[in-house]
Amino acid sequence: MSDWTTYEPVLIPNIAGLDRLETYRKHGGYDALHAVLHDQNTWPDPASVVQEVKEANIRGRGGAGFNAGLKWSFMPPVDGGPRYLACNGDESEPGTFKDRKIFEYNPFLFIEGATIAAYAMSITSIYVYIRGEYRSWIHKMEKAVSDAYDAGLLGQNILGSDFSVDLVLHSGAGAYICGEETSLLESLEGKRGYPRVKPPFPAQRGLWGRPTTINNIETLSNVPGVIRNGADWFKSIGAESHPGPILYGISGHVNRPGVYELPSGMPVMTLIEEVAQGMRNGKKLKAIIPGGSSTPILPAKDLEDLTMDADALRGAGSMMGTAGMVVMDEDTDIVETLWRISKFYHHESCGQCTPCREGTGWLEKILEKVVTGQGTTRDLDLLLDITSQMEGRTICALADAAAWPVRYTISRFRDEFEARCKPSLIPVG
Amino acid sequence: MAEIVIDGIPYSFEGKPKLLDFILSKNKDVPFFCYHPSMSAPANCRMCMVKVGQYVKNRETGDYELDDQGERRIRWFPKLQTSCNMDMMDDMIVHTHETDDLVKRAHKDTLEMILINHPLDCPICDQAGECPLQIQTYKYGPEGSRFEVKKQHKPKHVQLGPRVTLDAERCINCTRCTRFTDEISQSHQLTITRRGDKNHPTTAPGTVFDDPYSMNTIDLCPVGALTSTDFRFKARVWEMNQTPGLDITNGKGVNVDLWTRDNVVLRITPRHNPHVNEYWMTDKGRDAIHLYNEQRLSTPAIRLHPNDSSLVMTSWDNAYQTTQEIVESTDTKQILVLGSPYASVEENGAWMQFSESILKQSPSYTTHIEKESGDDFLLVDDQAPNTYGCELLGLKKRTKAAFKKAVAEAKVILSLHDDYIERGWLSEEEIKGKTWIYFGTNHTQMAKAATLTIPITCAVEHTASYVNVDQRIQRTYPAKETKYTNRRLDLEMSEGRLDRFGTKFDHWVNEDHKVDCKPLWEIVGDLSLLWGHTLSYRHGRDVLDALASNIPALEGVTYQAMDDQRGILLTSSETQEASS
Ligand SMILES: Cc1cc2nc3c(=O)[nH]c(=O)nc-3n(C[C@H](O)[C@H](O)[C@H](O)COP(=O)(O)O)c2cc1C
Ligand code: SF4
Ligand code: SF4
Ligand code: FES
Repeated sequence: MSDWTTYEPVLIPNIAGLDRLETYRKHGGYDALHAVLHDQNTWPDPASVVQEVKEANIRGRGGAGFNAGLKWSFMPPVDGGPRYLACNGDESEPGTFKDRKIFEYNPFLFIEGATIAAYAMSITSIYVYIRGEYRSWIHKMEKAVSDAYDAGLLGQNILGSDFSVDLVLHSGAGAYICGEETSLLESLEGKRGYPRVKPPFPAQRGLWGRPTTINNIETLSNVPGVIRNGADWFKSIGAESHPGPILYGISGHVNRPGVYELPSGMPVMTLIEEVAQGMRNGKKLKAIIPGGSSTPILPAKDLEDLTMDADALRGAGSMMGTAGMVVMDEDTDIVETLWRISKFYHHESCGQCTPCREGTGWLEKILEKVVTGQGTTRDLDLLLDITSQMEGRTICALADAAAWPVRYTISRFRDEFEARCKPSLIPVG
Repeated sequence: MAEIVIDGIPYSFEGKPKLLDFILSKNKDVPFFCYHPSMSAPANCRMCMVKVGQYVKNRETGDYELDDQGERRIRWFPKLQTSCNMDMMDDMIVHTHETDDLVKRAHKDTLEMILINHPLDCPICDQAGECPLQIQTYKYGPEGSRFEVKKQHKPKHVQLGPRVTLDAERCINCTRCTRFTDEISQSHQLTITRRGDKNHPTTAPGTVFDDPYSMNTIDLCPVGALTSTDFRFKARVWEMNQTPGLDITNGKGVNVDLWTRDNVVLRITPRHNPHVNEYWMTDKGRDAIHLYNEQRLSTPAIRLHPNDSSLVMTSWDNAYQTTQEIVESTDTKQILVLGSPYASVEENGAWMQFSESILKQSPSYTTHIEKESGDDFLLVDDQAPNTYGCELLGLKKRTKAAFKKAVAEAKVILSLHDDYIERGWLSEEEIKGKTWIYFGTNHTQMAKAATLTIPITCAVEHTASYVNVDQRIQRTYPAKETKYTNRRLDLEMSEGRLDRFGTKFDHWVNEDHKVDCKPLWEIVGDLSLLWGHTLSYRHGRDVLDALASNIPALEGVTYQAMDDQRGILLTSSETQEASS
């Protein structure tokens, strides 16, 4: 891996006023869209764009890590009817706060990326779903979108070509579940955010029953770079199997929490010790949650040589998720941490599927018992049993997201849980 | 033809049926809650899990790949699948709970989850005894619960609308009720509110659930969360008899079940008939319980003097003799006989024979069609259940004007069912001085104004047939005993535990609930004897048999055939075309 200290950020580069259209364009902004629309030799047709993006292997930054170009290629042939791109900026997974940096510092990069994606898939309308609590960034985006329209970068005949697409901003209303891609579609349609049963997949029947692709904001923001510099450039950044720049959102007990753009595959310890400038108050590291609260916790002893890419993390028994890393020091009460995480998933379950609706609450209530010293060791086994009753049995992945932290935190920190529990057996005599 | 193997048994199939549908059609059991055959499958209860795999075929040769033992290799889905929304595919292998322990475990797990926040109040719940949750729990559920923390509380006895009451704690959030208002009645009045284990159905703020089909959600609800505001706490399911019948409040001919206890119809629910009403009925049709139970004409009654304000009870013999005297003392030209589309084919048929043989005239009738009052679903413009039946028998149809003229010219009127006063077609003034003999079931305004009232059995007290607006003839069964019927002798009557084992010391056996009335065909038989005729009909079947041999359209129509074919369409499509 090249030296991260010399890495030049491309998603949120250090350029003042990049959130203004003139500045963005001065620094090469919209060259990629222009090329795609006008450079017939390099980009003969939309399929060539899809091919390049697929080649680049931009793995979805929304959590599931699916190759974006491959996802685009699932869109059925054009039939004259509407087709949609839904951009997922709901960003509600605890520990995740990266997309908002793009809204704040580089909104046009995302808009350009979404427009290129729209061209590549012959999309007629783009919807951008933004977390409702992001009030000020929504206002910012409104301004950016209107500037893009005024400059002929959205709407009819973009950049003088015969390609037209509209972009609509939609603010969420505070439900985590609306970040799940099909729930997001329901929400856009004005319905309750209940995830849809798949199949049919959104590419077949998405928004209002029409072909739809859903991508994360950061995923789409990588597209202009790939178009400008080529798939090979993108693949040369970071980890081979999970290439490209990553917005690492580091939070918790470090000296400098924040969002850092660095190549994928960064060593975890480098991120903590150097990028985030070490543990707060000189405390010892206890554990991290690598990519948002649903990803399994990893104890400090497993972090020595661990790098932040999908394969390495899977090997260590966790996941890349959203690269929102929560760092915990030695004073952290793991039991209470887990209780708090479970409370979140209980609060956010949409309530459709039995195992998730009932299981999330059951988990939280038992953990509350344990936290308050009322639990028994038998409760820990029950917790593990409940997770196996939830995993893989529901419509969307929220049940898994709620079950994994419980399963892995208990199995990896069982001592601490047992220390809080009363014994299940009352000794005779 | 594609093939599927379920629990080791191969089946062939065509098209793309859903797996659960197919398994159920083979008389095998898979537990389910949210699935309903006529609505979309949200797959939210997660109850109908099965294990699914597919034989692996070699891509090039198309041959099945074999394992070491020479058996076909199977690629299993990585997770258990919900069968309700699973499209069947060729070469699929399915294991249900009968052959797979993981599936069995999944059923147990889901039921345990459903029950953790459930109030477990079966002893006071209306649904107990016919509750899918109760049944599935006994069959597939865990022995006990490991839930030792506090249950989630939710709103109770919420009046969602005038007829439906919600207990949200019992709700298992299957969304059948909301899907019903979205997909079937299309009133969109219900939705689920809140998230997670606080989920429950509700109406939009400031609105009520007054959908004309609202009570179907009570039948659909797989638990006791939605209950009938009227029927709530009235009876346990196992105390009632269930008798098939028809909705007579409308011309659609909706098939229903009548639930009786101690000769009172306590509730009416829809009975599945794919040709007529699928699984549904109107709320109005359920209201007919009041028609059957309350304000019934019981024992003949007579106005002793024209100026008397009320009628007094009299014996059947006296009623018959009075009828004979009135008729004999009047020129038949001054007698008007009125049939009714509210009465059955058999009643109108017997009525017509009596009228033709003794009164030397055909009865006439008036229709009850209210233009534009229907919808595209089960409410039709025709408010009466047997308009086509009257037409088919050849009763003369009269317009309002023709009817009024005929009444004005008549001295004696014999009428069936219809309440012309309530309808505003006649005033009491207009019938002053006329002798009106009313054959009816309830204390209508017509009954109050009549000279003589003769109580006849209502649609739930006899076997009779009705022809609906689509010209389908369908039959009823007796659900209530009259003073003269006996459950044990009338083999068509259902007999429940209480009927069989109850004694007169039990509070549920009550003679007061038996109405002193007779089937119209028996009455006209008795009457005709006075003139020396013998129209002896003891059962609706006798009338129908006689009609079937005389009226070509009714050829081959028997109760047996109506039962077998779920009603008989009287006009084939050719004759319908010819007549239009
Ligand atoms: C419960 C749940 C919540 C989710 N929330 C988000 C979210 O806030 N933002 C996001 O981008 N993806 C979220 N996802 C993932 C999306 O379903 C989807 O995979 C993603 O938006 C696809 O974009 P990508 O392929 O570009 O990553 C969530 C998934 C689940 C199951
Ligand atoms: S898993 Fe949970 S959040 Fe997802 S659809 Fe089911 S109930 Fe809703
Ligand atoms: S009230 Fe009944 S039908 Fe409606 S969602 Fe709840 S359980 Fe299902
Ligand atoms: S019946 Fe299949 S999930 Fe409910």
